[in-house]
Amino acid sequence: MLVREMMRSPVTTLPPEASLREAGELFQARGFRHLPVLDGGRLVGVLTDRDLRWATSALCPEPLSLDAPVEVAMSRPPITIDPLDPVEDAARIMRKHKIGCLPVMDGPDLVGILTGMDILDTLIKLTGISLPSSRLEVALADRPGELARLTAFLAGRNVNIHSILTYPDPDRAVRTVLRLGSSQIRPLAEDLAREGFRVLWPVPKPWPR
Amino acid sequence: MATLIHRPEYAQYDFGPEHPFTPARLEMLLDLLRELEVPLDLLAAPAATREDLLGVHDPAYVAAVEALSRGEEGAGAESFGLGTPDNPVFPGMDLAARWLVGGALHGAHLLLEGREAHVLQLGGGLHHAQRDRAAGFCLYNDLAIAIRAMVDRGWRVAYLDLDLHHGDGVQSLFYENDRVLTISLHESGHYLFPGTGHIHELGGGYARGLSINVPFEPFTGPEDYLEAFEAVVPRVLETFAPHALVLQAGADAHFDDPMGDLALTTQAFERLYRRAMELADQHAHGRLLATLGGGYEAKVVARVWAILVLTLLGRPIPERLPPRWLARWQPLLGPEPPGCLHDPVPPYPPIPGAESRHRHNQDTLARLLDSLGRYWL
Repeated sequence: MLVREMMRSPVTTLPPEASLREAGELFQARGFRHLPVLDGGRLVGVLTDRDLRWATSALCPEPLSLDAPVEVAMSRPPITIDPLDPVEDAARIMRKHKIGCLPVMDGPDLVGILTGMDILDTLIKLTGISLPSSRLEVALADRPGELARLTAFLAGRNVNIHSILTYPDPDRAVRTVLRLGSSQIRPLAEDLAREGFRVLWPVPKPWPR
Repeated sequence: MATLIHRPEYAQYDFGPEHPFTPARLEMLLDLLRELEVPLDLLAAPAATREDLLGVHDPAYVAAVEALSRGEEGAGAESFGLGTPDNPVFPGMDLAARWLVGGALHGAHLLLEGREAHVLQLGGGLHHAQRDRAAGFCLYNDLAIAIRAMVDRGWRVAYLDLDLHHGDGVQSLFYENDRVLTISLHESGHYLFPGTGHIHELGGGYARGLSINVPFEPFTGPEDYLEAFEAVVPRVLETFAPHALVLQAGADAHFDDPMGDLALTTQAFERLYRRAMELADQHAHGRLLATLGGGYEAKVVARVWAILVLTLLGRPIPERLPPRWLARWQPLLGPEPPGCLHDPVPPYPPIPGAESRHRHNQDTLARLLDSLGRYWL
C-alpha cells in the first residue's frame, strides 16, 4: 500500500507569521494535532500541538506569548515522505524519529499529510474483517512452495481467501493467518491436518467426541 | 401455548447432500415430536413476496438470486456471496428461501394482529444474510424481514440471537435504527465465522448502544454463558421495553456441534428458552417470535429443538428418547446414539483452562457493561 492511498488531502496549513493563538484555535476547532507551515508555498516546518503546548507552558524556561508567530515554535526542518513510498517506510520513519505525522511532498509541492492515525487505519484495513469469514492459522515450514501448497488446497475446495498475513514464528516456521470465506472451518482444518499441515487454529476440542 | 409454523416446502431449502444445513434436521425434529406424542398443529404460512424481501434486501441482489434460481448463468454469483461452499446455487432457491421468510413474516403478523403471543417458526433463522449478499447458509434474512414488518407498524423490537455465530446480518440491517435492539451471544469473532460481533460494535447514530454483542472465548461452557446472559439481557430488555421479542434459537453452541467451540448443554438451552419466555412476558408484552437457526450435529439438534418446542408449549420434558425414532434415524445418529433428551450429567470431563477463560469472559463482560453504561443503561 502506498502513501498516496493512505494520506489525507487537501492539507490545512499556516503561514510562518500566523500567531500561536490562531494555531491553537485551529487545533481545537478541527481536532488537528499537526499543521504544516508554508512560506510562500515552500514547506518550512510543522507545528504540532506539543510544540504549541510547550512553547506556551509555565514549565518552559522562556514561554512565548500567544501573539508570537508559529515559526518560532514549530519543529524544523520538516521530515517528509514521497507519495509513492510504501506505507511501511512511512511507519518506519515515524517510529525512528518518534513523530506523529509526515508531510507528503511531490517535488517541491505539499500534496498531503500522513499521520499516525492513518497508519493505524492501514493496520486495521490489513488485519480487519471486510467480509464474513473464518480465521485459519497455520504454521508453514520456511521453504519454497509451502504457501502455494496451502492455497492450492483451499482452491481445490473452492474456498475464497479474503486476506493472508504472515509473520516469523519463534521456532522458525512462518505463522500464516488467513481469513477464509467459509463458515465450515473445523472440517477444513481436520482435512488440512491430515494433509500434514500444522494447524494452530482451530485446534481439536478438549473433550471427547 | 404457542403457534407452530411449518410447511413441507421448507425441505426445499436444501444445498445438497454434502451440506451441513440439511432439511433432515427438521425432519428429525418433527419425527421426534410425533414420537413423543406432542400434538402438532402446524400452521402453513404463505411464501414471502418479492416486495417483502425488498424491505431489507437490495433489488439487484434479489434479482441475482432469482436469476440463479432459474438456472441462468453469469448473474455474477460470487459478488453476491453465492456459488461458494457455504452458499451453493440450487434450482428453485429463491422460492425455497421465500417459504422460510414467509413463515417468520406470518409469525410477525400474528403478533401484530394480537391473534397469538408466542409463535415458533420451525425453520429459518437466516441471520447472516446481508442487504446485498448471501452468507453462512443464509439467502434471505427472514428475521430482519419479520422485524421490519413490526417496525413498519410502529413497534419497537428486541432481537435476541443465541446461535453459535454472531447475528451479523440482522445487526447490520438495523445498525442505525433506534427502534430495533439487537443482542447476540456467540463465540468470539476473533476465532469464528463471521469474524464480527465484538463488544465495540454498539450501533450507530441515534441507535448508539442498541447493538449489543456478548462474545465468548472458545470452549466456554454453560456457567459463563448463563452468567453473561443474566448480566446483560434482562436489564437491556427492561430498559428498552420493546413491543415484541424475536428469538433466533440456533442450537450450534452445543458442545457436540462440529462447527464451533462453545460448550453449552441441553440443560443450558432449556434454561435459556425459559428465560427468553419469562423476559418476553415481563418486558415485551408477552410477545415472542422464535425461529430455529444453526445446529449441525444430528445427535443434538432435534433434541435441543424438541426441548424448545416442549418449553414453549408448556409441556413436561420426557427423559428417554423413543426407540422407534432412534431406530429410524440410526444412519445419521451413528454408532453411539444419545439415550435421553437431555445430555448426561456431567456432559464432559472438566475442560482445561477454565479459570483463565472465565477471567477473560468476565473482563469482556465488564467492558461491555461499561460501554453500555456510557450510552444508556
